[in-house]
Amino acid sequence: MAFDAQLAMTNSVAKITLIGSLDASSAPRFKEVIEEAAVQSPTKLVLIMNNLDFLASAGLRVLIFAKQKMGAAVDIYVVGSQGPVLGTLEMSGFHHSVYIQETYVDA
Amino acid sequence: MISLCLPATLDSLDELGKYIMAATTEAGLDTKPAYGLRLAVDEIATNIITHGYEEAERAGDIAVSSELTDSSLTIVLEDTGIPFDPLSRTLPGEEELNMPLEERDIGGLGIFLVLKGVDNFSYEFSEGKNRNIFVMNRSGRG
Repeated sequence: MAFDAQLAMTNSVAKITLIGSLDASSAPRFKEVIEEAAVQSPTKLVLIMNNLDFLASAGLRVLIFAKQKMGAAVDIYVVGSQGPVLGTLEMSGFHHSVYIQETYVDA
Repeated sequence: MISLCLPATLDSLDELGKYIMAATTEAGLDTKPAYGLRLAVDEIATNIITHGYEEAERAGDIAVSSELTDSSLTIVLEDTGIPFDPLSRTLPGEEELNMPLEERDIGGLGIFLVLKGVDNFSYEFSEGKNRNIFVMNRSGRG
């Protein structure tokens, strides 16, 4: 499934909605959106993943890039991730560094 | 299932994923092992394309084929990029996996996911070709 990443900034919260398949072919697009968000100095990064159906290590590396680019103080929330995509995040130890939530309510 | 020959570019990952999903459906694999196999093949194909071809400034193809038996589904990726044994790569250990993201190295995750996702993975190089072989058992996996 084609990948799409949409950024919305609200009250210094960067919310990115990820759709489709995130692997090496689509990771550059995700990285662009992270960079777009980073220049606005968000206090929090929220990734909506309900409709992200595939996540490869190239996508995980962009999450590492996001943390390193935005700084350790910017918390990352992964929302709506489920099934094997959530399994990949947990297997890779990312659940130690990001907040995993089923739903997200806009502040 | 018929084999497929794709240009060694990242744009081919989508087509490769569709091939793997069709093979796992035909083999009757459950969602989790089917996803694990698709992820493993995607990771190795990405390595072949980026390291075996693009960084080496080579052009070429990746051939994918499958074999279905009563007990297993085997997927083989074959390429003529530079020889590389994925199993020679150092994997992230427990300590690395538990580190905060801002302190983590970005390497090694792909091969780690390959080995977690399939029942058996092997590599061989012969007659000028890399062969990456993925095996999934058709029973006994949840």
